[in-house]
Amino acid sequence: MRRILAQARKELIQITRDKLALTLALVLPIALLMLLGSSISLSVTELPLVVQDLDNSAASRSLLEAFRNSLTFHVVAWPVNKPPMEAFTANEARAALIIDRGFGRALARGGDAQAQILIDASDSNTAKLIQGYSSQIVNAWNSTAGGAQRLLPVKALIRLWYNPGRVTKKFYGPGIFVLGLSMFPPLLAALAMSREGEQQTLLQVYVSSIPAHQFLLGKILAFMVIGFAEWVIMLGLLFTYFGLSFAGDPTPFFVASILYFFCVATYGTMIGAAIPSQAAAIQAVALGGFLLVFLLSGLIFPVENIPPGLRWISNFVWGRYYMEIVRDALLEGGGWAAMWFNVLVIGIIGGVFFLLSWRRMRRMQLSI
Amino acid sequence: MIAKLFGGRMAALLGKEFAQIGRDKRLRISLILPPTLQLLLFGFALNATVDNLRLGIVDFDHSRESRDLIAAMTQSGAFRSAGAFTSAETLGTGISQGKVDAGIVLPVNFSKDLHRGHQVGVQVLLNAMNANTAAIAQGYTQGVLGTWNQVMLKSGSLHARFTQIGAVPRDLRGIVTLHPAFIFNPGLVSSWFVVTGTFGLLLILNGSLVASAAMVKEREAGTVEQLLMTPAGTGEIIVAKIAPLFVLLCGMVLFATTLIKVVFQIPFRGNLVIVFLGAALCVLCGIAIGTFLATFTRTARQAQLMSFFVNPPLSSLSGALTPVEAMPHWMQPLTILNPIRHFGVITRAALLKGSSIDILWPNILALAAITLVLLSLSVWRFRKQLG
Repeated sequence: MRRILAQARKELIQITRDKLALTLALVLPIALLMLLGSSISLSVTELPLVVQDLDNSAASRSLLEAFRNSLTFHVVAWPVNKPPMEAFTANEARAALIIDRGFGRALARGGDAQAQILIDASDSNTAKLIQGYSSQIVNAWNSTAGGAQRLLPVKALIRLWYNPGRVTKKFYGPGIFVLGLSMFPPLLAALAMSREGEQQTLLQVYVSSIPAHQFLLGKILAFMVIGFAEWVIMLGLLFTYFGLSFAGDPTPFFVASILYFFCVATYGTMIGAAIPSQAAAIQAVALGGFLLVFLLSGLIFPVENIPPGLRWISNFVWGRYYMEIVRDALLEGGGWAAMWFNVLVIGIIGGVFFLLSWRRMRRMQLSI
Repeated sequence: MIAKLFGGRMAALLGKEFAQIGRDKRLRISLILPPTLQLLLFGFALNATVDNLRLGIVDFDHSRESRDLIAAMTQSGAFRSAGAFTSAETLGTGISQGKVDAGIVLPVNFSKDLHRGHQVGVQVLLNAMNANTAAIAQGYTQGVLGTWNQVMLKSGSLHARFTQIGAVPRDLRGIVTLHPAFIFNPGLVSSWFVVTGTFGLLLILNGSLVASAAMVKEREAGTVEQLLMTPAGTGEIIVAKIAPLFVLLCGMVLFATTLIKVVFQIPFRGNLVIVFLGAALCVLCGIAIGTFLATFTRTARQAQLMSFFVNPPLSSLSGALTPVEAMPHWMQPLTILNPIRHFGVITRAALLKGSSIDILWPNILALAAITLVLLSLSVWRFRKQLG
């Protein structure tokens, strides 16, 4: 135990001496969380909408007013004789609302009046949102100004749970939190470990009395401390800037966090032990810590959307399990009943990483 | 002049740089492997489609109408049935434990009320943790219920009160039906947006990584002094360093374009020349960023770590993966300084919409301006260091 602590202390001293590493450890996670947490969003507002009102009646103007009043759209002037498609190719509008002649008369007669919305679908998600929003606007207009005072048989009473304001940063904040924890502690751990290999200081370790597992544990402990420091800072940011708080029993979150520090620190150490070149180790960590967690753990879009040929990989991505736990703790509050499996998996993956790096260390010892 | 440039020193320097890169196996791999991997992974993994949401069902009524409504919900493709729940409480627990994404509660007397002419409220619970999914699911739900209402009204099996025109006289008695039409991407393929954005992202990020590695190499090996002892001027050294990288990265552009066409089947509706022009500027931009970073560092390790500071703002303020319109308002103007943003606009407009140069020239101009500034900045730093 004493030797493990001494090893951990040595690592921490080395980090505090390296200014670049220290900023990487403590400043960058905050910057990343602020920047990505607020910039990643799919909730578009003020989309430019072109309007072509060929009817120009009181009814059509009233419908246009409803579109003008919505937060989602802002109406852009467009001449009636110019095809609305040109507004799309010129990037001046995302959608075009076209009201044909005879619109007002059809409404007055009590018939169905037609309106068309052309949507630039080059961004498919925004296109779908536009479709949903525009039909909601028209439905609302039908029931207030139009003839839908007819009683509708079934009315949807939609309740939005956990995030009733549909605030995007409450969803992406915890995701970036996990991304930061998956990136920086293993990066520093890999750098420290591969440096020992690169500068041949590993030989000194071999001639000392410290056994492989204690040496590894000491290193891992140091980077768990770094992970914990980042965790505290970023959690503080989540509670203040992102307006989150614990939704239910936070104990699974605490337990999982400690296991996750172990998991990522061990991952970095393993990479560092396997690749005794710092530049290459950085790339390997960037692949596992950033690319896998960013793409295959449901950070932006649900994991279920990934095609099955790729989705199976996400079962091995440690960040995915932790992300579910963090979101559960801060938004859903499912507690142990929902999250015990994820906590277990993080522990197992961490254990596997440790075994692999331990074997690697042992083998290196024998080869020298 | 030209003969002097390409006949003597310059040719020798270029020959040296090309030979060095030709021997560098890792560089060649890093020009092909990461871009391919990133393009495929981003394109396939970042999929915004909202479908097959798990819908938990609480049906207290068990009538023909309630079953019909449930069928309408689960047949829409947006939702799939995730089993029946006995009460609203168990449904709530199911949502909080992540077993279902949404739930619908049909009250007792659902069909009776419909036949009596009373409006029935159907409770729909949505896990809104993911704001985007919730917004789209909300749209779906209202669409499905709206259609179901229309079908039931037309079938005439409900109470007459639903079909008669209301008591309050109004001058507008009809209803508006909105017909949406999706232009340019009628199948709503999600990858078309992501891939066209990722293209610029990988040009800049990989370009800068490769460039900074190449630039720092000579310094790490300590051979800069030898290079300075030759009669070649600093300008010539820089050009000779940049030219082979530019050629190689342009090869990467061609490769990525092929990948975009073959794997993702993105339609090339516009002029490819505009895209290649933008890509060439992007490559130069990436080289400039890499060179600039390399002047602050002494080792490959430091150069790579520097990229951790530069890449997040570059990629998050680019609109490459998520629309710029969804960013906070104060952030949106910042994207104008980002080359990735302009290249994203160019590829999307030129490839998907077939926009021409007379529309895209401001973006090309902006990209060229950014490239020029970055390039002269990095050359200035580099020269200062060499001198």
